[in-house]
Amino acid sequence: MSAPLVIETQDLSKVFGKQKALDGVSLAVAPGSIGLLGPNGAGKTTFMKCLLQLQPITSGSAKLLGREVGTEGRDIRKRVGYTPEQDCHIPGMAGCEYVTYCAQLSGLPFQIARQRAHEMLDFVGMGQERYRKIDTYSTGMKQRLKLAQSIVHDPEIVFLDEPTNGLDPKGQAQILELVQSLWRAYGITVVLSSHLLRDVEQICEQIIIIARGRVLVHDSLANLKARKRGAAEVVVPGRHEELEAACARQNWPCELLANGHLRVEHRADSLNPLLDLLHQIHLPPLEIIPSPNALEETFVQALEISHAAA
Amino acid sequence: MPLHDVNYKHWRGAHLGLWERRWVIARNGLAACLQNKWMRNLVVVCWVGGLGGAVFLFLVGQLLVADSVVVKWTATFNPNLRTFVGLLTGWLENHPELSVGTLQNVLFYYFCTWLTRLSIFALGMAIPLLITRDLACNAIVIYSSKAVSRGDYLLGKFATAFGLLTLTWLGPACAAWFVGNLLAPDWRFFWHARVALENILIYGLSSMVILSLLALGVSACVTREKVTAAFWFIWWVLGSVIANIALHTRPWLQHLSFNFNLNQIALATFRVGDNIRAAQENIPVLGRLLGHIRPAEMAALDTPNLAGTWLALLIMLSLAAWVVHGRVKPE
Repeated sequence: MSAPLVIETQDLSKVFGKQKALDGVSLAVAPGSIGLLGPNGAGKTTFMKCLLQLQPITSGSAKLLGREVGTEGRDIRKRVGYTPEQDCHIPGMAGCEYVTYCAQLSGLPFQIARQRAHEMLDFVGMGQERYRKIDTYSTGMKQRLKLAQSIVHDPEIVFLDEPTNGLDPKGQAQILELVQSLWRAYGITVVLSSHLLRDVEQICEQIIIIARGRVLVHDSLANLKARKRGAAEVVVPGRHEELEAACARQNWPCELLANGHLRVEHRADSLNPLLDLLHQIHLPPLEIIPSPNALEETFVQALEISHAAA
Repeated sequence: MPLHDVNYKHWRGAHLGLWERRWVIARNGLAACLQNKWMRNLVVVCWVGGLGGAVFLFLVGQLLVADSVVVKWTATFNPNLRTFVGLLTGWLENHPELSVGTLQNVLFYYFCTWLTRLSIFALGMAIPLLITRDLACNAIVIYSSKAVSRGDYLLGKFATAFGLLTLTWLGPACAAWFVGNLLAPDWRFFWHARVALENILIYGLSSMVILSLLALGVSACVTREKVTAAFWFIWWVLGSVIANIALHTRPWLQHLSFNFNLNQIALATFRVGDNIRAAQENIPVLGRLLGHIRPAEMAALDTPNLAGTWLALLIMLSLAAWVVHGRVKPE
């Protein structure tokens, strides 16, 4: 029996004035580590905010953890954690006070809230600095604190909006490792929003790519990586015509790109047929660039859509 | 390497109820307000004032008993004074409704208006901590992502302001009434002074609700803490100045001052004019002293403009609600 869906949306749209931030998003997402990938301004944050009721939905419907968003917001948010992209700390509070307060807001009694706050601060790797005022924290500490407040009430799903922003590579790796463990070790569904393919690829099992408010793809990382179109860019020292003629004989579409490379759709999982063909016509290639997998390709497509719109 | 388990732990337990979560917001807000040393000092001043009120009531109560320490003590100054006090005592004992009820009513009117000023000042200091700071640092997003709604958040913040006013106003006033009558020579003082307590509660609670709502509106105006605090104090001071200037020119302008409007409610609640007239007519000596109040001042005490007051307050509260509705949201 498959696990119940954590996110279900049907024609979900969000409009800001004349700008469509979300355009008919329909998704059915199972529990796991989910990467919400797209360029800046693609609609990732708006999508999360609509699910969390931080933004009202313009049209369509959405369910989170099986409950209707919009009618059961308070109850849903008891079971949901959220790490916003921007800083959102209450000045004048120490880190442990802040996390305790967040736990209480989520409905934990004070004693338990305080105990869990310290446990979560341990979990995210914060030491004695937890007793300092948040105003004095570095970006890395603030990111850790945001993560701690989002999981202190033991949510079933946690939304993380660009959690590695502003961190150095070491800090990024540590945060990603923590996030990864939330699903793999503790079974908390993670929705990681990022514009960095590397981050998402590293820790997510499901990928949703968004561009201009539309979902371009929703599939597992394994499927997307396995899915290749069977094409390659071939760099040859002149003699383009010979290769084009050979490809035509094989019924392989071939196209001369602006950079002088030839793009050949050989429709095979491996490059062997293409190499055989080159061998047959005695044309040694300078370089062969295999086609990107569907994940990279769709992400590039999302970037292109975004740039075209800009 | 940590000596204790730093792994994530699940928690399954009963969540707090909705009102408890609202109370968490209120308590946290109140604690933030009281972190300010000046605010704590102000609260202390209010309670010292309450203590002073209780002592004053004790002394007044002692005047009503012929063999009390205070009456004997006055005799040490001048035998005539003893005769006078003796006469007064006898009279007061025969008219407890006037000597206790009316007197305490007038006293608490002045005490409450004094506490109002201190409370408005305290609220001005607290305004940046109500909503302004949450808007400025995006904490509003955190509240909105937790198991509380916008309404819960606002209720919590309202309770913060209300709680602060309870500390600076209703608490000291009620304590003064209770302790003052507890120390009185006769338990019947509680009964005779009941009207004063009713008026304290009616005026105090209604004004505290109004002030708390106005404070929320001002606090949500902008995201700069100094600006919201300055706005409150300027409105208060400028409004009071305008109210005094406009008295003889355009009286409706007086209603621009929330302080003036609150005072109108106080006058209507405590019926100060009626009380002073009753004192003038019935209490020897004191009545003659009160007779020096100018007719214009007496008229102002006598006929508060309640229609204009409520209309002005309604407009102010609507504006505050509009500001809060427009500003207090996650985005």
